[in-house]
Amino acid sequence: MDFAAFLVTQCLNALSQAALLFFLGVGLTLIFGIMRIVNFAHGAFFMLGAYVGYSSVAIAGNFWAALVLSPLLVGGFGIAFELGVLRLLYRRDHSAFLMVTFGLTLIMGEAIRLIWGVNALEVRAPPALSGIVFILDEPFPLYRLFLAAAGIVVAVAIWQFLERTRLGLLIRATSQNAEMVHALGTDVRLVRSAVFGIGCGLAGIGGVLAAPLVTASLAMAPTAVIDTFVIVIIGGMGSFLGSALGALLVAFVQVFGTYYFPDLALALMYLVMVMVLVIRPGGLLGKEA
Amino acid sequence: MNFSRGLAAAACVLALAPAALPPYAMTLLTEALILGLFAMSLDLMVGYTRLLSFGHAAAYGLGAYTCGNLLLHTGMPLLFAVPLAALFSGIVAIGVAWVCTLASGVSFSMLTLAFAQLFYAVAFKWTTVTGASDGLAGIPRSPGPFGIAIFAGKAGFYYLVLACLLGSLLFCRMLVHSPFGEVLRGIRENEAKTLSLGYNTRRYKIAVVAIAFALGGLAGALYAPFAGFANTELLFWLFSGQVLIMVIVGGAGTLVGPIIGAAFFMLVSNLLSSWTDSWALFFGLIFIGFVLFAPQGIWGLLSGTGRAEGRERVRWRFLKSTS
Repeated sequence: MDFAAFLVTQCLNALSQAALLFFLGVGLTLIFGIMRIVNFAHGAFFMLGAYVGYSSVAIAGNFWAALVLSPLLVGGFGIAFELGVLRLLYRRDHSAFLMVTFGLTLIMGEAIRLIWGVNALEVRAPPALSGIVFILDEPFPLYRLFLAAAGIVVAVAIWQFLERTRLGLLIRATSQNAEMVHALGTDVRLVRSAVFGIGCGLAGIGGVLAAPLVTASLAMAPTAVIDTFVIVIIGGMGSFLGSALGALLVAFVQVFGTYYFPDLALALMYLVMVMVLVIRPGGLLGKEA
Repeated sequence: MNFSRGLAAAACVLALAPAALPPYAMTLLTEALILGLFAMSLDLMVGYTRLLSFGHAAAYGLGAYTCGNLLLHTGMPLLFAVPLAALFSGIVAIGVAWVCTLASGVSFSMLTLAFAQLFYAVAFKWTTVTGASDGLAGIPRSPGPFGIAIFAGKAGFYYLVLACLLGSLLFCRMLVHSPFGEVLRGIRENEAKTLSLGYNTRRYKIAVVAIAFALGGLAGALYAPFAGFANTELLFWLFSGQVLIMVIVGGAGTLVGPIIGAAFFMLVSNLLSSWTDSWALFFGLIFIGFVLFAPQGIWGLLSGTGRAEGRERVRWRFLKSTS
């Protein structure tokens, strides 16, 4: 394999990985920006997305149906949790949220084990995407290309949504000064519910998309939540662009790290995070130190 | 009931426990006391300084691996290996805390998590020292010095753990009531104000993390010879989360509360796991219930909210919902 082909395929690999990480990171960072809470259960929502995706494929027999159904259901569950539990806690310290969502992680992990069982469940990519393409004479899975493209499309869509729609405007305003938005006659609580739902739904999309690669398993949640935290912290809590940057950085470190330093691969990501925080305590694009 | 009388009574009851309890219950109780020591060490950070650590498992794992290696490879007596491991954990913590205190708030929590995961990742790969995923097995309770061997037995080891817990409790109590402790409380309530009063708050934070890690390391160092093994689970983030649960459920900022929280955690998870496979489900529910309806924890419920004497109330700085 010549070096150019190697470099291109590895970069595409990293891009597809970054897309998955971005789905997680952007949800977490949006939620943090609006609600000032850290959603520890984000990985569990991601995992739920994969399992719901599995069932949707099994029932509807169609991966695309799963891609629509899963984020809706996961987002709906997120909104229900926000209304039922989180809303009681807004006057409390942010540690309360960390702990409640930690409890939710335990509950969701166990509930998923009860409903779907302990075995990893395979989700097949749709036939149109399960082939292989040749890039500079190197075989490359088509599905990963699709992931990278999906990541870019969703990133642009979210960016445009935040910049150009009314809800996007409200979300940006709320993250800057919620009191003022409230005083101007918008029910900030509804914005919060919506954002929590959107964030969880994005994690759900990530779950469905990740399922054909890694199978739906109970180990998804812990790995996902840690990776997501790393991304969001590197990028800066609450920064949309930061989460995209963080996802890219972490994905490239993971992919190339695994290749060049297989023994250090696990530690490398944390080292990068520590380094970024030492230089910029608020993250690359974070506001506060 | 004042603190010293209550403590003396509790110590007497615990000292008599080996005579009354069956071996299985003794094992559970010993583990509960070790976890209690671990949770109490975290309370110094969480309850008194409002440094929410999500990586306290690092302290436990450091202590356990250090103690395990000393006992396995140097033939050092148990009574020397345990404090040495605790000391090592405390020294490592100075470096960790130096980096973590660059940030504050949520970023601090996440940095502690990152460090704990870094240690986890290292432990997973550094086979010669940590045994990788197999862990260290067959850690002995080496006798000595002067041939003292009573700690090798079940009851003897229990007394060693009890002594460490009570000693640490008294030490922490002294610490939080000292001028040093007052500064910690100042950081908890308003760090900017404490800083402007002329205290180098970062130095105080590093110091309290080091002390918390040393005591957490002591707990880990006791666990290694207690269980006879040490593995990467001890460094995993889930364990950091669990110990945080123990602190909050027991009552943060009370020192005694987290010990009760740890005992409660052990008891409930054992009862639940003997009754149902899905203990995590109920545990999560109980935990959410505590955060929602009893934020002051078990100790707060027991001692009543109206009483100020002998009890520290954590007044979290309320984050206004709109800010």
